[in-house]
Amino acid sequence: MKIYIKRIFAISILIIAGLGCSKDLPVDEDGLLITKRTSCYVSNFELLGVDFQTVRTKNAVIDTTAGTINVEVFFGTDLKKLYPQFSLVTDAKLEPKVTGTVNFSDLSNPRVFTVISGNRKVRKPYTVYITIQQ
Amino acid sequence: MKRICFLYITLLCTSLLFVVACKDDQYSVPAAGSELSNDGIKRTIGPNLVGSKIEFAYAMAIPAGKGKITSAQVEASIAGATGTYLENNSYYTNGSGIDVGIPIGSPSITNGAITTVTFNKDTSAATLRYYYVIPETARGQSVSFTFSANSSDGGKVTYALGPYTVSSMDMVLDLNVVDGAACYISIADMAVYAASAAASIPDKIDLVYLYRATPASFSHALVSPVADPIYLPGVTLPAGVTRNTKISKAWNLRDFNLARLQYGVYIDDLDFQQLNISEAPNFALNLKAEAGAWVETSDGKYRAYIYINSVTNSTKSAKISIKRYTF
Repeated sequence: MKIYIKRIFAISILIIAGLGCSKDLPVDEDGLLITKRTSCYVSNFELLGVDFQTVRTKNAVIDTTAGTINVEVFFGTDLKKLYPQFSLVTDAKLEPKVTGTVNFSDLSNPRVFTVISGNRKVRKPYTVYITIQQ
Repeated sequence: MKRICFLYITLLCTSLLFVVACKDDQYSVPAAGSELSNDGIKRTIGPNLVGSKIEFAYAMAIPAGKGKITSAQVEASIAGATGTYLENNSYYTNGSGIDVGIPIGSPSITNGAITTVTFNKDTSAATLRYYYVIPETARGQSVSFTFSANSSDGGKVTYALGPYTVSSMDMVLDLNVVDGAACYISIADMAVYAASAAASIPDKIDLVYLYRATPASFSHALVSPVADPIYLPGVTLPAGVTRNTKISKAWNLRDFNLARLQYGVYIDDLDFQQLNISEAPNFALNLKAEAGAWVETSDGKYRAYIYINSVTNSTKSAKISIKRYTF
């Protein structure tokens, strides 16, 4: 009986030691997991008005090679306060972060957002070009 | 020996568990009060708007052997407006879910802030509804209510409800706006004017309603008079109509008072107090039925929410309702 208890105790110690020595997975400054993925692109783009309704007239055209997003918005859209929504490849993140409305009214200086891959080593800028429906 | 001991203990614990688990909770019918007693609730929810009613249900009962109810009364801390009354019917809900009223006394008499119903039926228990029409004098203030009932044995009970804050907001319902006709909206007056009338009060015109079929995204619009002319195509403004009103579109904000639909959403004073649309544009295009728009007048005196009750493309018209807060 005592032998059994000793064995169980020893095994438990080994398991705890094994778990304790496992390395923590790396995280970035935002607390997000850094993975091995190198993919870095925008898969979908949405643009909402202050009433949280889409202002797009049609689907945005995303060119992952050129790093551009072309989107046409309704006539009369208030470009000063829009909520952009990016769908990114798995594990990627966006810079700058979208924390509220974004001002897209300066059409001559289109906004640029950078996608950062899961391994945080690939950075790809996307320029958002907005045209207004006539 | 050890094994036997262990068995005995297990058996004992199990039997104890059964005894405890099988014990029925004792229930006893609540004892009825031996004296006249009462209770009350406020039935309406949402902001208390001037001109609207607050509804209460006031219940009173006395054991049959002790006597009968002789009167019920309500005293408001601020006298109600015309139309304030205490029901002289006690309601019950029938099998079809319909409230059926049984007359228990003469119609209520309101004297100042006190509304009284005198019972003329031998009544042991009744629930009366009280409708308080909020007077202009109560705007922005608190109002309280003291309900009381008297019985034939000399008993008297009282029940206090409140205080309730009366909203500072104004509300107007179902204004018809028509493109090129009654299209000039005044937030100050909470009214809609045609061009000729608007010309006489240009400093009160905050918005222009218009409908354009093309581009399709123009549709029904509310536009400030000084907005870029591309948002006022074909509109010749009356002389002096030059106000710059901020307007911010909203969706899924179907205020219950304005929409009168099933959504239990209410815009209250606090929403206007905390609203910040200082960077909003001065036009809102493509407004749909059940949409709305927050508005702030150029002088900063008024903030409002304009709700679109319905739109009709063929007649280039819409029906709007407005809640307004004055600073």
